[in-house]
Amino acid sequence: MAQPKISVDLILSKLAEEAEKAGESAQKASDVLLESLETKIAVTPYDVVYEEDRVKLKHYKPTVEIQLKRPLLIVYALINRETMLDLQPGRSVVQNFLQEGIDVYMIDWGYPARKDKYLTIDDHVNGYMDNIVDFILDKHNLDKIHLMGICMGGTFCVIYSALHPEKIKNMVTTVTPTNFDTNQGLLHIWMKDMDVDRIVDTYGNIPGDIMNMGFLLLNPARLMIDKYVGFIENMANKKFVENFVRMEKWIFDSPDVPGETFRQFVRDCYQKNLLIQSKMEVGGKRVDLKKITMPLLNYYGKYDHLVPPEACELLTGKVGSKDTEDICLDTGHIGIYVSSKYQKEFVPRIARWLKKRDEDKKKCGAKKATAKKRVAKKTPKKTAALKTKKKK
Amino acid sequence: MNENEQNKSGPETLFADWMKTSTAFWESMASTWPAFNKAGGVTPDSKRDDKTSRFQKSWESTQKTWTAWSQIITEPETMETLFKETGMLPEIFLKIAQTGLNSFVHLQQQWLERAGKVQESTKSYTFENFDEDALKVWTKLYETELRKIFNIPQLGLTRFYQEKMIRSVDKFNMFQSNLTEFLRLLSLPMEKSFQVLQEKLVALADEGNLPKDSKVYYQMWIKILEGNYMTLLQSSEYTKILNKTLHSMSEFSEAKKDLLQDTLLYTLPIPTQKEMDELYKEIYLLKKRIKELENRS
Repeated sequence: MAQPKISVDLILSKLAEEAEKAGESAQKASDVLLESLETKIAVTPYDVVYEEDRVKLKHYKPTVEIQLKRPLLIVYALINRETMLDLQPGRSVVQNFLQEGIDVYMIDWGYPARKDKYLTIDDHVNGYMDNIVDFILDKHNLDKIHLMGICMGGTFCVIYSALHPEKIKNMVTTVTPTNFDTNQGLLHIWMKDMDVDRIVDTYGNIPGDIMNMGFLLLNPARLMIDKYVGFIENMANKKFVENFVRMEKWIFDSPDVPGETFRQFVRDCYQKNLLIQSKMEVGGKRVDLKKITMPLLNYYGKYDHLVPPEACELLTGKVGSKDTEDICLDTGHIGIYVSSKYQKEFVPRIARWLKKRDEDKKKCGAKKATAKKRVAKKTPKKTAALKTKKKK
Repeated sequence: MNENEQNKSGPETLFADWMKTSTAFWESMASTWPAFNKAGGVTPDSKRDDKTSRFQKSWESTQKTWTAWSQIITEPETMETLFKETGMLPEIFLKIAQTGLNSFVHLQQQWLERAGKVQESTKSYTFENFDEDALKVWTKLYETELRKIFNIPQLGLTRFYQEKMIRSVDKFNMFQSNLTEFLRLLSLPMEKSFQVLQEKLVALADEGNLPKDSKVYYQMWIKILEGNYMTLLQSSEYTKILNKTLHSMSEFSEAKKDLLQDTLLYTLPIPTQKEMDELYKEIYLLKKRIKELENRS
């Protein structure tokens, strides 16, 4: 007897096997979901040392002896919350910095209310950020601190460092958009034709839920379907469920974005691409990237669909500093901070980079190292080269 | 019964008698007012007297008019003419009805002409893609023809409120129409992904390579779906419809806000968002000025 083209018997037996497994899994899942789950986020202890309007400055309690002379100020974006950097013990950028002996401060932008709709980029950068930097400088009796920005927070850091270079010793930008003239990311495509005035005039502040809806639409198949299919498949795994819920808590904790800041960010950056051309004006002053003369470490993700590599990689070539480095990781926008793979590498590498540049005398050595890296940056297979380095 | 008696019991006599009786009744009622006032025990300093006399005067005046009118109408000549004219009533009513019908027919003609225009404006749609074409037709029909109804000028004291209400309904319709188009667009990759998956499965079945694991089918489908979405989301058509939807959503939101703020909230003892925004702006500017002054000193 000839073999059938489709092995129906095998398919059916596999289906029966899977149905049995699904039944067992559902039983376990119900046990997991009904017992108490540990899903708290942002549990690393800190003190709020400065407050202005809705903005707070968190100072994390050191866990080991401080090894750097200067503290590190982390500036998160106005979109979503800074809690992403401290999702859970063992998967926390903040905790890793503390373990490296770095004194960590982080800005919590809070939840903008209707009254904050008039706040511009100038108010955030030359107002809140500058006041916070001054506060830290006074507290530690220093002239400069280290600055690290995440996404839009990185853009704020770039603007701040160009306008106040005398206060920043070293700058680390991570998934930071500075070049907006690209069609690599959907956000860049959509924002170009957006009637931002109409939206800001209507809503005042941009509702967090609308922003989130936009982010989900960047990849509906994965973010609205596949993600939850994955959750259902792993519901019997308590650790998985806890991590998943933590992530959900963070993702949908979306403060509104102050209207005027959003208007300027979309118009000057996404639509006119002024920042990378050193033509953007903040607080009546031109943001000249050549004034960024401090060492700059620029991280970004190869598979970042929000801030694609093209949006990040031009910065190091445009600043005045000669000590710059680009690092492109094989991950996405959030993976840099939360994936277990990069947890081991991301913070230790920044810590090493900062330690080398914490004191003034080490500056010359850094310059040499950078010159080599800049050459590497110009080669077409830069990412591959970096990957090989990491593997070694 | 003789002829005179028959005439006397005709409709005009009956009507004249009824007029006389009712006039007499109201006259006797009016004569009770002074007696009622006296029995009322009204104090000398109360003003009720004045009020009653004003009411009484008004009553007396109405009564006089009624008496005069009933006298005229009950005269035999008047009654005769009146009852002769009654025979012409159907003719008068017919004329009124004809005028009304003509206006109605004219209005219908106008609507038919408009419907003809609708047909013209939808001629380009072949309805091969029924959902897409139907949506486009509806939007076009609404924008070009139906919307005109909302533009009919409003009149009178409540004109502003009516305008705001109508504007809000109009903007809601536009938003709904754009949102439906946007959602339809978002559903296309899903529809297409199932088609592509089926084609793939047929090909695999022909080759005898049909996967045995159901997860593989899901992975195949989600990959196709992701690809289809990427193609759609990068297209200029998507950006265009997205912006149209956002724009109409903003317009509806603004119209709704206007309606609630200026009509409903305005009557309540609470500040409107517009007023609060003005206040916030003042505080914001004042704070900026203070900071500037602090920095200078």
